Amino acid sequence: MLRRAHQFALAGLLLLAALLTPAVSAAREYLQLFVTEPYLELHTGPGRGYPVFHVVPRDGSVDVLFRRTDWFKVRTEQGVEGWASQNDMQKAVLADGTPFKFDLGDRAGFTDHRYEMGIFAGQYGGATLVSGYMSFSFNSQLALEGSVGQFLGKFSNGEIGDIGFAHVFAPESRWSPFVTLGLGLVHTEPKATLVAAPDRTEQSAYVGGGVRFYLTRRFFLRAEYKAHYIFTKRNENEDADEWKLGFAFFF
Amino acid sequence: METRLRILLLSVVLAALPGCATVRHWFHRDHPATPDTTQAEDENAAPPRVVDPEVSRRKIVVPKIRSRNIEVGLDYGVLSIEDFGTHPSYGLTAAYHITEDFFFQAEVGRARAGNTSFETLSGISLLTDSERRFTYYDLSLGYNFLPGEAFIGRGHALTSAFYLIGGIGGTDFAGDTKFTVNFGAGYRVVPTDWLAVHITVQDRVFQTDLFGTSKLTNNIEARIGTTVFF
Repeated sequence: MLRRAHQFALAGLLLLAALLTPAVSAAREYLQLFVTEPYLELHTGPGRGYPVFHVVPRDGSVDVLFRRTDWFKVRTEQGVEGWASQNDMQKAVLADGTPFKFDLGDRAGFTDHRYEMGIFAGQYGGATLVSGYMSFSFNSQLALEGSVGQFLGKFSNGEIGDIGFAHVFAPESRWSPFVTLGLGLVHTEPKATLVAAPDRTEQSAYVGGGVRFYLTRRFFLRAEYKAHYIFTKRNENEDADEWKLGFAFFF
Repeated sequence: METRLRILLLSVVLAALPGCATVRHWFHRDHPATPDTTQAEDENAAPPRVVDPEVSRRKIVVPKIRSRNIEVGLDYGVLSIEDFGTHPSYGLTAAYHITEDFFFQAEVGRARAGNTSFETLSGISLLTDSERRFTYYDLSLGYNFLPGEAFIGRGHALTSAFYLIGGIGGTDFAGDTKFTVNFGAGYRVVPTDWLAVHITVQDRVFQTDLFGTSKLTNNIEARIGTTVFF
């Protein structure tokens, strides 16, 4: 037990060291932007409430160091570092005079984005289900999705993992329905107190559908149903219904 | 007769020559015949250039802006396992900041349960060694409730936030996995762009029937953690 704890701690330290390395190594080229509005306000922190402590006048330039959510950390020619909001940065231009364009995370992004992530709570074959999913969109209508979940029931616990395709109808509308089709694995651990049945892992296929509803910014709700067909080694295959409601975001 | 033949041959050659002159264009129909420019240049007689300008259009390569929305770190604290005492816990957290207000967080942690008071008094052990391992994993949503700044002396201001967090997950304990709801609050201080320090108090609630009757257990954890933004 203690040895495992040590290994865990060591792995964590190695991970931290690996993560720190890029943060320490500097000397990279930053994007330079020019202010076209009368001035660009710099806040002390990445949030709407942080006070403005510095302004960059028109035609002044800033280097964009990095982005955190809807805020950009910038450095002025004098070396002053501060946070500029997404709305203000939209009015800045590149060195050749073209406007600065970036992903805004608004309603247009809901229609057309690359990645989605979310968490769900629901039911799987009568058991409580907790799951998460991630999707990669090829275009605004077709996406490749992967989801993993854990179900906790009275008679058995287990995990499910699925991978498949989703087709979204009317991605531009606030309520956009979708259909899904894919394959998966189900690992079931029957509760030992009942019958001494062994754990089993089986393949499955699913077909389903659902609806997503755009909330605000990068968020949307997603309700989904999947009908799973589990290919067992026994005489009969099994069916399992999965109902879930979740909260997701795109980026 | 001979002169006639010569005239005939000569006229054939004369007729053939201009035809042959077009031969080079026969196989290159796509290319338009380039006009002979040497003569035209001589006629225009442009003045010789003093400076030969070498203007090449500058290409602007737009460097990609790095997003630092992901936060990963380790934490250490104490977990009070209902009926089993309070014990050290350690864990891993990973968060994704979606907007300035909201973030998603995944947590994994572990602690070791001690003895219940019954076990201590009677000397009977209810759980095996591996069943005493308390492992939790959650997916939570956090809300930066009170963002602000913390000051150290005159010259340093650190951005900070008080946050609320809640979510769902599972707990492996006493030979079973239970559906677990968690909620809590924390305080985050960000001393540099890439580092953050957290203090979090979180309650994990799940239903258990370990002692015969089904009951809701509260397992409160207080922990301190360090995370790195990347």
